[in-house]
Amino acid sequence: MSQTIIRDRIPHEELLASGHLACPGCAAPIAMKLVLKALGPDTMVVLPACCWSIIAGPWPQSSLRVPLFHTAFETGAAVASGIKAGLEARGDSETTVISWAGDGGTFDIGLQALSGAAERNEDIIYFCYDNEAYMNTGIQRSSATPWGAWTTTTPAIDPEHQPKKDIMAIMAAHRIPYAATASVAYPVDLVEKVEKARTIRGMRFIHILAPCPPGWKTENDETIELARMAVESRVFPLMEVENGGAWRFTADHPGGPVEPYIRRQARFKHLTDDQVAHIQREVDARWEILTNRVRYGT
Amino acid sequence: MSDRDITVPRASGRAVPPIAISETSTLVNPTGSWKYILPRYEDRVAPCNAACPIGIDIEGYMVLIGHGRLEEACDLLVSENPMPAITGRVCHHPCEDGCNRASIDQPVSIHAVERRLGDMILAAPPPPVPDRRRSETVAVIGSGPAGLGCAFFLTRLGYGVTVFEAAAAAGGMLRLGIPEYRLPRAILDRQIERLEAAGIEIRTSVRIGTDVPWRDLDRFDAVFVAPGAHLDKDSRIEGADATEGIRPGLEFLKAVNAGERPDLGDHVVVVGGGNTAMDCARSALRLGAAVTVVYRRTPVEMPAIPQEVKEARTEGVGFVFLAAPTAATTRNGRLLGIECQRMELGPPDESGRRRPVPMDEGRFSVMADTVLTAIGEDCDLSFLPDAVRTSWGLLEVDALGESTVAPVFAGGDAVDQPRSVADALGAGKRAAIGIDHYLRERAGEEPGPVPLDEVRLGGSGNVSVMRYAGGSDPIPRESPVNEVVTWEQMNAHHFRTVPRHEDHFHSAIDVRAAFGEVNFGLTRREAVEEAERCLNCGVCNRCELCLIFCPDMAITRREDGGFEVDMRYCKGCGLCAAECPRGAIVMTREGL
Amino acid sequence: MKKVMIGNHAVSWGALRSRVEVVSAYPITPQTQVVEALSDMVANGSLEARYIKVESEHSAMAACIGASIAGTRTFTATSAQGLALMHELLHWAAGGRLPVVMADINRAMAPGWTIWTDQNDSLSQRDTGWIQLYCETNQEVFDTTIQSFKLAEAVNLPVMLVLDAFFLSHTSEPVDVTEQEDVDRFLPRREAVFKMDTADPRAFGALVRPDAYMEMRWHQQEAMQEARDVFRRVEDDWEALTGRRYGPVEAYRTEGADLLLVTSGTITSTARHVVDLRRAAGEAVGLIKVKMFRPFPTGELRALLGGVDRVAVLDRNISPGRGGIFAEEIRSALYDVPPEDRPILFGYVLGLGGRDVTPAVIDDIIDNTRMKSRPEREDLWVGVEL
Repeated sequence: MSQTIIRDRIPHEELLASGHLACPGCAAPIAMKLVLKALGPDTMVVLPACCWSIIAGPWPQSSLRVPLFHTAFETGAAVASGIKAGLEARGDSETTVISWAGDGGTFDIGLQALSGAAERNEDIIYFCYDNEAYMNTGIQRSSATPWGAWTTTTPAIDPEHQPKKDIMAIMAAHRIPYAATASVAYPVDLVEKVEKARTIRGMRFIHILAPCPPGWKTENDETIELARMAVESRVFPLMEVENGGAWRFTADHPGGPVEPYIRRQARFKHLTDDQVAHIQREVDARWEILTNRVRYGT
Repeated sequence: MSDRDITVPRASGRAVPPIAISETSTLVNPTGSWKYILPRYEDRVAPCNAACPIGIDIEGYMVLIGHGRLEEACDLLVSENPMPAITGRVCHHPCEDGCNRASIDQPVSIHAVERRLGDMILAAPPPPVPDRRRSETVAVIGSGPAGLGCAFFLTRLGYGVTVFEAAAAAGGMLRLGIPEYRLPRAILDRQIERLEAAGIEIRTSVRIGTDVPWRDLDRFDAVFVAPGAHLDKDSRIEGADATEGIRPGLEFLKAVNAGERPDLGDHVVVVGGGNTAMDCARSALRLGAAVTVVYRRTPVEMPAIPQEVKEARTEGVGFVFLAAPTAATTRNGRLLGIECQRMELGPPDESGRRRPVPMDEGRFSVMADTVLTAIGEDCDLSFLPDAVRTSWGLLEVDALGESTVAPVFAGGDAVDQPRSVADALGAGKRAAIGIDHYLRERAGEEPGPVPLDEVRLGGSGNVSVMRYAGGSDPIPRESPVNEVVTWEQMNAHHFRTVPRHEDHFHSAIDVRAAFGEVNFGLTRREAVEEAERCLNCGVCNRCELCLIFCPDMAITRREDGGFEVDMRYCKGCGLCAAECPRGAIVMTREGL
Repeated sequence: MKKVMIGNHAVSWGALRSRVEVVSAYPITPQTQVVEALSDMVANGSLEARYIKVESEHSAMAACIGASIAGTRTFTATSAQGLALMHELLHWAAGGRLPVVMADINRAMAPGWTIWTDQNDSLSQRDTGWIQLYCETNQEVFDTTIQSFKLAEAVNLPVMLVLDAFFLSHTSEPVDVTEQEDVDRFLPRREAVFKMDTADPRAFGALVRPDAYMEMRWHQQEAMQEARDVFRRVEDDWEALTGRRYGPVEAYRTEGADLLLVTSGTITSTARHVVDLRRAAGEAVGLIKVKMFRPFPTGELRALLGGVDRVAVLDRNISPGRGGIFAEEIRSALYDVPPEDRPILFGYVLGLGGRDVTPAVIDDIIDNTRMKSRPEREDLWVGVEL
């Protein structure tokens, strides 16, 4: 059949409730919904400060049908480690404990705790849903913000100077059992990665690109399209790496120009054609690095 | 002044707990109030359906095949097309020109799927004769696709129908004009037998106006006139009358199709670029001649089905374009060849095609023992009363085939429409509806005007009998809208490329020796795979991507297989509509 | 069972006897022996616990919070910079009403670098919502560690037990280590009131709007108030078991005293010695030891200090821009004592950064307190040389 029908490959159980407070078209609840479908109800969620602190609903609400612990910005991995230790101390080694953090809580303020948990090979899954800036506080740059992007702290006259931090390489360098990138535009790939991660013991890291209509300055209905373009243009390749060395692509990445992806987002609208060409060169160079990782394991 | 002590906690009944522990879900938030636009499931019309002159629900039967419901697919097909085994073989399939798959890889081989279903239908026992629910009877003049089509649908609508055919056997152009290698007579005969079994009375060798006077038709409550176009147009080749070597192509085809094998000589020139020309060329080839087609314009302007042209080329027919025969070269009445004038394309004519104009100094001659002219046919309408108005030799009819004189209806090649089997069938169907409506009105049933916008598939000329008669759709449609879905409304990213199964052909070496069928079509497995290539344009096929991508869990499955959007929670982001592969969801402000 | 051990090991033994289930800690001088001993205990199986060897104190407290919301008894220990790094999460534990117990080995705050004792690290965390208990001896450290769990889990508040760097942490003293079965009777396994449970999935700590935040803080304050009574009952039980009791405040030879010293931590022991000498010389000098700093023992202190002529508060800490923190707290507590009973309060700042507080220093303080009609400033710095 020409359309791969995926409805039966996505578990039907819904562990995320309507009425959550995500902006219209937000990728973050889609990511959470798919992840929870893959993990099932025997899951506990640690939520450091991020957009999801709001999306989950104010007291006395919760949009999740699994236990959820709101915690401080930089503590996702550490609190999850503690919960896991507590459960194990009481004889529960089955419940999946996850940390669900944004890019700020992962790439920046939470990196130390994340590194600690990774190095200790804690039996948790750390998810980063990455919208490429501090969106909840009003679109300030993070170390996940891509080169050239406008944010409220990287104004268009002097936009982001640094390329996005290579978090996957950092996680792979910890030689954790499993790390992967995933996309809301590839639900089966995402669910399969989470299901795979669930069966692995030790530290697991899954990085999900989560387009943000207000922060990327795009239309609400472009979220999936942009996530897909990011993968296809090799801006955000879908990969997994086991034990820090065995890298693998999990989707086709036809490549082609990044320009349509960049130009769809008004956060890049100030960029000249030369600057877009620079992004293209960076993407090409990084692709070379990634293909070498896949080929040679480093 | 208040005498209440504000420093003493007051019992409010709120019972705030000592910590921020949840007590409810976010379902208490009617976040749907944020939206300024909302999604609506609206099944649209697939472009194949809109392009089909017959009005077949192609997309519908493709879905049924995809679900393994082959018998229902056959029923759905026959409900709109009485002769799929024939149209599957000879139709020029404009449906495939409309097919959106062309934007991904190649169109679905709709004709081959239809043919396979058609052959399955022919192999099955005939369905019961429809109830004769109406007392009225209808005469049909001509048993070509228009006449038989009209008769079939009238029978299904409950009328008694008698078809009058001048020739010795029914079928009209299907039998007289289309060569056997395209349409085996066994298929045609079985199809006609099946129509007779469905309750249609066919009286052959009866020419109205000659064997039966027009006035004798007064005993019928309505007449459908579909005599076809059998008069060859004058070729205007100088000296043509002086030789027997220049013959009307249709006459030649009729002879061959009747089993004759005339000697044409070694070199045959066919003049014209339509399907009759191709049929003449390929038939002449089978009689052993070297055949050259001479056409005034270029390959692009040829009205023939491209596949027919391609097959003619494959079989060895030569082509000379931008050339017009002007005069015959004869010796003692024997044709030696024809003079041709080189042409070039000038400005477009009224048909939109560029008009060929003669070039200076561009004359040449082509050797020919026989020239077959195939430049079009006219109708013989002499049997009709004068009051029935014609225009440019064709009957004037309204949208449902009604002529200027009640109760006379007309269709097929005798009216102004493209001359194809499919268009003829479509005209027959329209007239059946027109006649039914006319007779109901005459019987005082006050049926009201026929809702053309509703019975058409996409608003073009075709009509659906099922929609007219209110039959139940085997594919549940969600708030159907009679608009053709555009490729831009669809989301191509969810489709993979799957190469098209091409028809299986006899090799060119085989075909020259015989009139056996050239094209074997597809195997059943291949036909099913072709049906599965169908994108179901515009129609929800429950793929559930909307549900998977909805960030707000606002879409739920309904018991009947459809979906419900919970407007309390839908924020109107539009992701469902943007990601719907087939454009079956629209965002609208209506209903906010 | 009597053992000679350093104060840090008294903490470890207290945690062992309390059957902590999750330990998460990061090393810092002078806390290290606490966690080294616990590592050994976990490694050799004498303590059946998970030990998370985190990469920072911040993560140590974060992991304790996680383990605690999972329903287990959790413990950590730290000092000075480490405690400061935890600051944000001290609020999180307290506001989340999680009965984490932590030992803080009082160490002065840098810069410049210092490893020696004073109380500024723990007192800087005064308003985070933790119960704070200051210890004088290794025996008290051991006893208080166990009591802290009982207290914390009864009122759902975290408890910080505090001991002086080196003077206790690295100093060996005999400790009567209560037998495990006795402690088990005193301190059964934790049954959490609020915990993560997939069978009853709840969210903890979500956004709270102004219409409810204050009520939650009020509940927290109520729990602090309740902690005073609960601590008394905890001590009753412990005394019944071991014969030992310390009280939130201890009055030492206060009978008929016209001058009372107020101390906390190990200065108390030195002060006891000086008081004994002065009493032997016929001087009516007494001593008040403050063990419980939060909740503050306002009532006990009013009762003990009201009507006394002069009070000298010895603060091994400083709130820059104000004065010694115990002095300020006590001064404030005495405001509601009738004016005629209100003592003259001398707030001495001394011993910062581990500077020795010898009997001679305390003698000087007593003399200084008697010599002046009134203190010339809120903060009387002792022994500063410029």
